[in-house]
Amino acid sequence: MSHHTPFDSAARIVRHSALWQATVVGGFWLAGEAAVRVLGIPLPGGIVGLALVLGLLATRRVRVRSVRRGANLLLADMLLFFVPAVLAVLDHHELIGLIGLKILFVILLSTVAVMFVTAFTVDLCYRWRADHAHNHAEPLAR
Amino acid sequence: MPITMPSPWLADAAGRVLLWSLVTIGFYWGAKRLYRRWPRWWLSPLLVTPLLIGTIVLALHASYRDYIGGTRWLILLLGPATVAFAIPIYEQRGLIRRHWPVLLIGMVAGSLTAMLTSWALATLVGIDGALRLSLLPRSISTPFAMEVAGDIGGIPDLTAVFVVMTGIAGAAIGDLILARLSLGSALARGALFGIGAHGAGTARAHQIGATEGAVAGLVMVLVGLINVLCAPLLAALLR
Repeated sequence: MSHHTPFDSAARIVRHSALWQATVVGGFWLAGEAAVRVLGIPLPGGIVGLALVLGLLATRRVRVRSVRRGANLLLADMLLFFVPAVLAVLDHHELIGLIGLKILFVILLSTVAVMFVTAFTVDLCYRWRADHAHNHAEPLAR
Repeated sequence: MPITMPSPWLADAAGRVLLWSLVTIGFYWGAKRLYRRWPRWWLSPLLVTPLLIGTIVLALHASYRDYIGGTRWLILLLGPATVAFAIPIYEQRGLIRRHWPVLLIGMVAGSLTAMLTSWALATLVGIDGALRLSLLPRSISTPFAMEVAGDIGGIPDLTAVFVVMTGIAGAAIGDLILARLSLGSALARGALFGIGAHGAGTARAHQIGATEGAVAGLVMVLVGLINVLCAPLLAALLR
């Protein structure tokens, strides 16, 4: 069909809008939730939805450009979705004071450890693999 | 008279949803604009948005029950946000194909360090019970972290608080570590931010370099996934 009706272009605008695409992503989430309930999968519905979308993208049944903008919208404004959960501190008065300081201590020190270990491990493995690949490649090159 | 009961209750609930949703979205939008104008770490929307909304809730003498009653629908949107993580994974498939063994080892090492040091340090300062469990998944992205917290017997809401604290602190700590360690690969520089400080770390990594940002974004999602998939195992171990 080569001729474009106003309806076609309107439909295209809707399909490319971030809000519509975010709704599509929401649909996949509902499908994931439904699958978890019906099949009794011991995983969160969101994770099953993620796997579903990844599978559809990998087999090219869904094109990236038909969901990318919606996904970016949801990911860019994720802070808005968990702010209400963060305000639970209002109900936890025990966190104000010494316990709060202790928690801060745990978080700071643990984060230093996580970053140090991660960076060290990745750097070491990366260099080891690079050397390894080099040693194997050498005889072939000669 | 039971027949007239639902109508004032409904009006009340609708008003609550309208008021608190508007407050939340309005302050979030304002905090984002503020940060775009003055990008300082202490003006991060991660810090400013909850502080402002908390102040309003307290100033209006409202309770958290009131507030959460009006904004629970926003938390529900973390579900679609989790699904949306499929797109960055797909778009970084080249990175996964090339470096998956290194990234996998880094993620396992980082996650184990996060869990073990949180547990050990919490025990050291005398934190135990549900509070200690809520601290364990704090280095992964919020939707994943809240899921893991629920699985292992922590309090998901508190974990969300700790995730935010980790994000704010992590961006600064990452800079300090980068200055101390001489890391030859962009892979290590990105992984440090993505595994250590999830979304906030990824934003910082994007400022350092495009490769660092891509690596951080990818490992942030993957490490969240790995943690959720391993949560039942962890729960069994903790029981």
